[in-house]
Amino acid sequence: MTPPRPRRDRGLVRPYVVTDGRAHPTRNTLDLVTLVTAVSGRSLSGLSPEKRRVMELCRGGALSVVEVSGHLGLATSVTKVLLSDLVDSGHISIRPPIPKAQLPDAQLLQEVLDGLRSRF
Amino acid sequence: MTQHIPEAVFWCLATAAPAAVLLVRQSRISARLRRRLTSSEAALRSREEEVRHLVEVRLAALVETPHGAASVPGPLDAELATTAYGANLEKVVEMFANAAAAARSRADQSAKTALKGAVRALQALANEQQLSISDMQDRHDNPDVLRDLLEIDHANAQFGRRAQAIAVLCGSWPGRQRDASPLIDVVRGATSRIRDYRRVKVHSQMETAVVSRAVEPVVLAVAELLDNAARHSQPNTTVEVGIRPAHNGASIIIDDAGVGMDTHEVEEATRRLSGREDIDINRLGDPPQFGFAVIGVLAARYGFSVSVDTQSPYGGVRAVLFLPNTLLERKAPVEPAAARRTEAPAFPSGTASAGEAAGEPAAPTAPALSLPTARTSPAEAAVRESTAGGLPKRRRREPRPLTPADGATPTDSGPALVRPATETASRMSAFARGTRSGRGASQDSEGNPQE
Repeated sequence: MTPPRPRRDRGLVRPYVVTDGRAHPTRNTLDLVTLVTAVSGRSLSGLSPEKRRVMELCRGGALSVVEVSGHLGLATSVTKVLLSDLVDSGHISIRPPIPKAQLPDAQLLQEVLDGLRSRF
Repeated sequence: MTQHIPEAVFWCLATAAPAAVLLVRQSRISARLRRRLTSSEAALRSREEEVRHLVEVRLAALVETPHGAASVPGPLDAELATTAYGANLEKVVEMFANAAAAARSRADQSAKTALKGAVRALQALANEQQLSISDMQDRHDNPDVLRDLLEIDHANAQFGRRAQAIAVLCGSWPGRQRDASPLIDVVRGATSRIRDYRRVKVHSQMETAVVSRAVEPVVLAVAELLDNAARHSQPNTTVEVGIRPAHNGASIIIDDAGVGMDTHEVEEATRRLSGREDIDINRLGDPPQFGFAVIGVLAARYGFSVSVDTQSPYGGVRAVLFLPNTLLERKAPVEPAAARRTEAPAFPSGTASAGEAAGEPAAPTAPALSLPTARTSPAEAAVRESTAGGLPKRRRREPRPLTPADGATPTDSGPALVRPATETASRMSAFARGTRSGRGASQDSEGNPQE
């Protein structure tokens, strides 16, 4: 996290008001790079302004948790509380980041290469 | 011998007659003297009474009441008041009143000055602490740590509000220049600063924002009202806040289900809320009740108004804070941090390809000049590489004013995957420019990792 980070006026609404005093997300499956997508067709009524913004942000496609927190100008731990609420209420869906394709071991490749070279 | 008798009688009469006359005169004089004595005794007594009344009642009242000679009881003897003596007494009262008022204002002034200085230091500390708490919240990604930080944050916010309130009463500014903020954020900001913030429920029907200069005072005033509402109602009740449009402004309506106020309290509150009354900080009671006084000062200074004379449908008090249009912006503001960054206007989406060739001097992106060009960290390089491929798929279907703005967010861990292509293009060109100009300007190899 590099220091120059755009902040909206963060001093105004404090995070405990945003999370209603909670610090623990209802689920611990959220990671910094977990991808978040808005579930379409959900009513936004009754959501807090931050949650509405999450929905707006995620409508265009998947965002990672850390991106959402950056856009909201909230700490990631606070964002996780919000996101797990939204998952509970069915407003967003999450999925773990796509793992890197399993590539064969570099050493194995090297050996194959060496073998091929020695052959031809 | 007998001839002596008439002579004797004559002589007797001759002496008795004057004696009788003298006696009569004497008795008259003494009667008159007695009368005079009693009357002057009475006068003396009444003057003594008057002086005692002056010292024990009138001057004492003058010391007690802050409102000067007007509220002091009159003299005992109305007749005496017309005499020179009475006039002198009045003069004494007047001089005493003036001296007392001067002393009081001097004391008030010096108390205010001393308090202002002390409180300003506290305010600065509270702000500083809030910043470091925010940084800690960013830094730690552990719910247990966050819970503790939230508690500290909450306590600090209340502390800051108290300091601010005292500062305002002492004639200082509320401090903290803020950006124009939506009304709902203003109310929630106020909610952040009271103890029972979880009991406050905000319902908003408006998108209106409060102008920059009025944000902090309105937050402070609403916080004081909310604090009153929460403090004077049962812990299991909620404090309902509504934000409604009004004829030429907007109202913030705060309802509590508490005990309410009696007529006298309402009068007192209205007087303080008017802001016309001089606040004597020595007379706010112990513990000092400065909530309404602070609101009054702020309302008078910034031109909003507050009333608490209605009963809430929930049984308690309904406080209404009315904001005139002069303090409102009709449109929800683009967040200013955003506004600064959107100065690079939207590019035709074709220029997105410029992002892929970021190493090249991407020509058509002149406005990007205004972006900070100095940041040539390796993280930026990573951004460039990861951006090029997946971008087009991830562009916002519904670009909001904010999204392009926040682009400068984390330069870490590749969140740039989601940046709109236009912005990436502008950044990349800015980056390229920066690299070039950096190379041109200096000999060191700072920029080398990029090419």
